[in-house]
Amino acid sequence: MVSILKRSLAIITILIIGYWLAVAMSHVPFGQDKMLVGQYYLNHVKDQTGAINAVTAIVVNYRGFDTLGEVTVLFIASTGVGALLWKRKRERTARVPGSVVLTTGTRFLFPFIVLFGAYIFIHGHLTPGGGFPGGATIATGFLLLYMAFTVYEIPHKGFEVTEGLVGMSYVAVGLIGLLIGSYFLYDWIWQTWHVGTVGKLFSGGFIPIIYILIGLKVGTELSGIIDNMLKEGVSGND
Amino acid sequence: MNGQYASLLIAIPLISAFFVPVIKAASKKAVMPFLVLVTAAQTAAAAWVFNEVYTTGKPIIVMAGAWRPPVGINLYIGHFAALFVFIVAAVSFLLSIYNFKTIKIEPIDKYAMLFLLLMLGATGMIATGDIFNLFVFMEITSITAYALTAYNKTGEAAEASMKYMILGGIGSSFFLIGIAIVYGSLGTLNMAQIAQLAGSMNATAAQAGLALLIFGLAVEAELFPLNAWAPDAYQAAPHPVTVMFSAFVVKAGLYAAARLLYIMQSVGSWHSVLKLVVIMATLTVLVAEFSALRQRNVKRMIAYSSISQVGFIALALALGTQAGVDAGVFHMVNHAIVKALLFIAVGYVAVELGGAEMENFRGLGRRMPITAFSITIGSLAVIGIPMFNVFWSKLRIILATVDVGYTWAAALVLIASVVEAVYYLRLLHVIWFEGSGERITESAALGAIMLLLVALVIVIGVYPDYVWNLAQKAGADIFNVAQYIKNVPLMGVGA
Repeated sequence: MVSILKRSLAIITILIIGYWLAVAMSHVPFGQDKMLVGQYYLNHVKDQTGAINAVTAIVVNYRGFDTLGEVTVLFIASTGVGALLWKRKRERTARVPGSVVLTTGTRFLFPFIVLFGAYIFIHGHLTPGGGFPGGATIATGFLLLYMAFTVYEIPHKGFEVTEGLVGMSYVAVGLIGLLIGSYFLYDWIWQTWHVGTVGKLFSGGFIPIIYILIGLKVGTELSGIIDNMLKEGVSGND
Repeated sequence: MNGQYASLLIAIPLISAFFVPVIKAASKKAVMPFLVLVTAAQTAAAAWVFNEVYTTGKPIIVMAGAWRPPVGINLYIGHFAALFVFIVAAVSFLLSIYNFKTIKIEPIDKYAMLFLLLMLGATGMIATGDIFNLFVFMEITSITAYALTAYNKTGEAAEASMKYMILGGIGSSFFLIGIAIVYGSLGTLNMAQIAQLAGSMNATAAQAGLALLIFGLAVEAELFPLNAWAPDAYQAAPHPVTVMFSAFVVKAGLYAAARLLYIMQSVGSWHSVLKLVVIMATLTVLVAEFSALRQRNVKRMIAYSSISQVGFIALALALGTQAGVDAGVFHMVNHAIVKALLFIAVGYVAVELGGAEMENFRGLGRRMPITAFSITIGSLAVIGIPMFNVFWSKLRIILATVDVGYTWAAALVLIASVVEAVYYLRLLHVIWFEGSGERITESAALGAIMLLLVALVIVIGVYPDYVWNLAQKAGADIFNVAQYIKNVPLMGVGA
């Protein structure tokens, strides 16, 4: 009896809040030409950033500060997983090796997957994609290795140090901007040096550099998370 | 020096956090001393910014990538942000020393990274001038906080972290929907431009958007009914992390809520949202004080007390008057000092005597006199005894509340204060008049930190004018939205 009362009360509350939100949403002119800054980006993206892909230019250049934050969020996720699953000694416990199809396929595909991931983040300023999907693609390559081979492990130390150094380089790119252009995350390559031709691979100012850094970082971090989640602590040693 | 160098406040902790894995590869012992170094550098940078802002009287506008707002993201380091970024850095510096005594559980390198990033997140939330950037920094703060809550890897810690994560996740989604409503209506994410255009928003949409934003932040700001995670997390988290939660993480959430509340003040439905926050804040105070009364664990009891003080601050900030905001900011400063003192002392007792249960505090006056003295001063200050700092800010809050006409709220929080006195005096009784035991040698460094904070409590209590002045300037920074809009060099896009 009580539970029915409780439940109906909850449902009524939800309905009231839902109605209120629906009314509020109906007054928001979604999809109409209200984007004050959007038009500015479209008009100026080529000469201000040297990138063809306007989305990338906004993500990495105009709102690069947010992207630095997002990279940090991912870094926290991987660090947090590492901290919480930490054991003095951990091992892989998988016993069933991958089938012939999986192992052969992995051996054959791994270099291409990494290559494709690298392609995505190197061309971020020209084509859809960028550091985040590129890095995730690379991590799937490592996931395949983990699934196919029961003893495989990533080179932990190397990956951890790479992760750190790449993150530092991102901040360093921003600090160089502070020194050269006196603004943090200032695009010194495009705006001071004018390097590159719009539409070619060598263009887009610091966007390709940052996307390469992000790609490496995301790739190593996601691989690290996979590694942390697949291994189990060896009992008696902790 | 160029004001743009204030971006170092973000760059220093970030680059240092990324540097930790590299240091660890060289020598694991160097990680903790490195934290001391970084937080000292951050404190120096924050002190420079503080000095710059308060001597020129003008805020520092950091424009990332040289893009003028609203096209790019700007940091707005006004009087409030300058003051609180300094408090964040200084408290973190003290805690980096406290870490040596309290953090024994591996992996220390990961702890160090998360510690720096929690400091970074709170700094960013306080400094940013862009609503989506605020969301990013809120994510940084909260995700770090989830990980640090569970850091001790006990069952309780995991449960607390899980609760926090679920509530925090819901809060973040609310916040994001709120941003979507505001951006969909106004087409800009810059807080100054939102303030400029807020009046043109549809009243219902504005009410829903603002309420969603406030509810999203209420998780971080520990407002009832979204604060159920807080006591568990405070109790289960490592001691320095508890200090950080209480001293500045919750303040960052409160500030962000207050800032959003005031920049939207020209929307039609503004007063109904204010009233909602006043009710939430009063309930926060009441529920937390009465829950604190029943606690047997001192750390948890002080956690409830911290939540109730947060309710006080939220009440003051939601009054919608200059006097209220000033009083709220003043209370924020005092609360940061007092609660840092109490949690450091209680955590130290827990480390030395194996737990923060009430029994362990019997005879503390004889066993750890300096710590016991610090807890005593801290407790008397929180209750609101004259000549201690909290007295002045509580007084100002109650005066401001009565001034607006919320006599019922003032009466309720006064009753809650009496409850607070009951359980703090009970703790003091246990410390000084019960039990006995061997004297334990107390750490000189921690003793110095605690006595420094005690000195601050008393000095501000006797000469409140200097800090009250700072608080008034910082309060004006939040309250005077017209000035805020004028200070941000908005580019004439659209509008």
